[in-house]
Amino acid sequence: MKNCILYILFIISLFSCSKEIDEIEILPYAPISLDETAGNWKTFVLTSPDEVMISEPVPVTDASYLSELDSVKNKVLPNLTSKQKELVQYWGAGAVLRWNEIGRELSARYNVPPASNDEGIYPVPDPSNPLADPKFPFANPPYTARALAYLSVAQYDALVSAWKYKFQFNRKAPYEVDNSIKPLLPPSELPAYPSEDAVVAQVSFAVLLAMFPGEGPYLRSKLEECMNVPIWAGTNVSSDINAGIKLGAGVAVKVMARAKTDGMGAANNQSLTSGMIEHAKSLGIVNPWESQESPSRPPMLPNYGAVKTWNFDRNTLENIRPSLPYLENSAEFKKDLDELKSIQKNQTRKQAAIANYWADGPSSYTPPGHWHRYAAKAGVDAEYSEIRMARMLAYVGTALMDAGIACWDTKYYYYSPRPQQFGLKTSVGLPNFPSYTSGHSTFSFAAATVLSSFFPDKETLFHEYAQEASDSRIYGLIHYRVDCFMGGSHGNLIGDYAVKRAREDGADD
Amino acid sequence: MKTYIFLVCLIFFFAHKSLAQMPHDAIYMNKNLTCGALVYGNSSFTEYWENSLKRENQNIGKLTSESMTAMIAYGISKKINFIAMVPYVRTYASEGNLLGQEGFQDMSFWLKIKPLTYKGFAGHLGMGVSIPMTDYVPDFMPLSIGYGSTTLTSRAILSYNHPSHFYVNASFAYHLRGNTEVDRDAYLNDDQLVYSNEVPVPDAIETAFRLGYLKKDNQLELFAENYSCTSGDYIRRNDMPFPSNDMEMTQVGVYGKYQPKNIGVNAKLAYVVDGLNAGQSTTFSVGLLYLFNLPILK
Repeated sequence: MKNCILYILFIISLFSCSKEIDEIEILPYAPISLDETAGNWKTFVLTSPDEVMISEPVPVTDASYLSELDSVKNKVLPNLTSKQKELVQYWGAGAVLRWNEIGRELSARYNVPPASNDEGIYPVPDPSNPLADPKFPFANPPYTARALAYLSVAQYDALVSAWKYKFQFNRKAPYEVDNSIKPLLPPSELPAYPSEDAVVAQVSFAVLLAMFPGEGPYLRSKLEECMNVPIWAGTNVSSDINAGIKLGAGVAVKVMARAKTDGMGAANNQSLTSGMIEHAKSLGIVNPWESQESPSRPPMLPNYGAVKTWNFDRNTLENIRPSLPYLENSAEFKKDLDELKSIQKNQTRKQAAIANYWADGPSSYTPPGHWHRYAAKAGVDAEYSEIRMARMLAYVGTALMDAGIACWDTKYYYYSPRPQQFGLKTSVGLPNFPSYTSGHSTFSFAAATVLSSFFPDKETLFHEYAQEASDSRIYGLIHYRVDCFMGGSHGNLIGDYAVKRAREDGADD
Repeated sequence: MKTYIFLVCLIFFFAHKSLAQMPHDAIYMNKNLTCGALVYGNSSFTEYWENSLKRENQNIGKLTSESMTAMIAYGISKKINFIAMVPYVRTYASEGNLLGQEGFQDMSFWLKIKPLTYKGFAGHLGMGVSIPMTDYVPDFMPLSIGYGSTTLTSRAILSYNHPSHFYVNASFAYHLRGNTEVDRDAYLNDDQLVYSNEVPVPDAIETAFRLGYLKKDNQLELFAENYSCTSGDYIRRNDMPFPSNDMEMTQVGVYGKYQPKNIGVNAKLAYVVDGLNAGQSTTFSVGLLYLFNLPILK
């Protein structure tokens, strides 16, 4: 009896404080390089790094500068609250990284398919009324790939421009002007005007607000934090910040001008599907894809394949489109289907775990978000500067969006049926669009290819991840093997175009 | 599964007579008396509360969870009883394409003591621990067979038995629930993205009132139970449930037991009348009970 009570007390002790979840903390670090020449790197949307103009700063001997410096030194730094110090540590890990995380979190929050109404209709999310039910956007994988691509491209172009001005004007950071100022973040010799944090804050705010229009108050609060942190940290004065805001706003306008005309507005054109189905039948698809949901849900973004790509043109997209999938009456098709039937009967716990790990379904940041996360982590581990981080994410991000576009083009070109149309179940949930090719495989191999070129020592790891993400769709019973390996090699090709572009942007000269 | 049925059958072979009992009731067995039971349970719902919105889901239809539980209760003394339970659970949906799950769920061990008695009144304390037996998937909800959370339950019961054989009792239980581990490495909790595979499962409070008639070994009881998490987030619009959800439900039901000899049967029928982030379940169970004196096993 006594032993029993002791045992129970022991178990109680195991439970104490157990609701806390430990997450990996990313701390501020000093980048291994300032990347002084980054002002000359080739941009994605800007035609030149000084396309958006900012005025020349006053010298550090000017009265107005000295007054700003005095404010940082004698008003701000001595009166920091613990909350402000906490925010300095949080944002000090990198504004590019943190805004990427914010983009991922918003994607996860908005990634729920609309519910059908009483008439059995699925209302289309309305951008002019984003918080109504269903909320706008439905941040599915193509939407998220695009949102994060524009975010990363805008950050990168804005930072190239910022770097150009930084080294052109060469105005020093407050702690270099006045040695008695002790910054709260690792000091560097990077010129302070315009503030890179403010540039990233403003450009990220503008892009994410356009992508998630219901999140104004939340995004504004993040903008306020991010642009104030350099003042609290003693790394910028207010005119550094103001110039950064101006530059960020100007670059955002240019980048969003591309977004407005990239064809996303027509991506959900459902009137095209009957023609697509007829076309697929003409190619030999016996039973084209049909929604397995009840009531039947219109397919996800049938015209996303027509959205403008980043790293290759339309002709290339058509040239590299995967060839016809195995047709229903072929031996190869039967073999793939039998494999799924056998997994359904004997799915191992390991297979289920892989399927679950990579599922990245509703309420997640989707596969593009998952790969942005890996990319950002690799950039932090390599102690990348802000601009090198933004550059790498821009190539990964555009490759992921290109992968989404090319994969969606393929899906609706062939309009092929899901395994569930042949009686299979799923342990991860069934996406509502045609089967061939696998989006996960295309996204993952495209991202792994780009990441491998940035981090050659992790090439094997990234390709193992991609292979696992690809296999996960077979283990989850929602893709035939042919969908996965054809999607994977398509993804490799798509990634190669991003790598080629990166080799020519001047960063590695 | 077969092993457990065999064990229970084996136990049933040796017999003596007393009362079957459960962790939440006010019934005790005499020293060394043992009750083995095999209980089939079936719980299903077609409507559920998505946060507070009552709805159906045509892609799930009717969600059913069946269980077979092997149970053994043992009288350490007349006032201290020990109970152990092992459930095997199977789930399936009548519509849609979500794959049903099955497996051994959480085994539990309970101690129940009666430190206070005064006339017909008695105070009881119960303590139990429930531990996942297998590495089942806890976040493929609502198809998952369990939460994958180790749970420690403390329960206090106040009972009154009237000489007319009628009884009432009220109980209060606190379920301290440990975190669960999921296969994914990030998830949303209360709209925040958490970069971890560990999910907090909220604690829960269970209150119950029972009114019944107990004569010899036969029993008929009406009950009302409320199960409420003390924290947790909600099911987002048109999303699936998650182990971190603040689940609440109030259920009413009837329980009966008939035990003419060593062999007896019990049955339960319950219905959820109100809830939050939970299914409006109808549950029934039938059990086969067998009573015997443990030393006979020596």
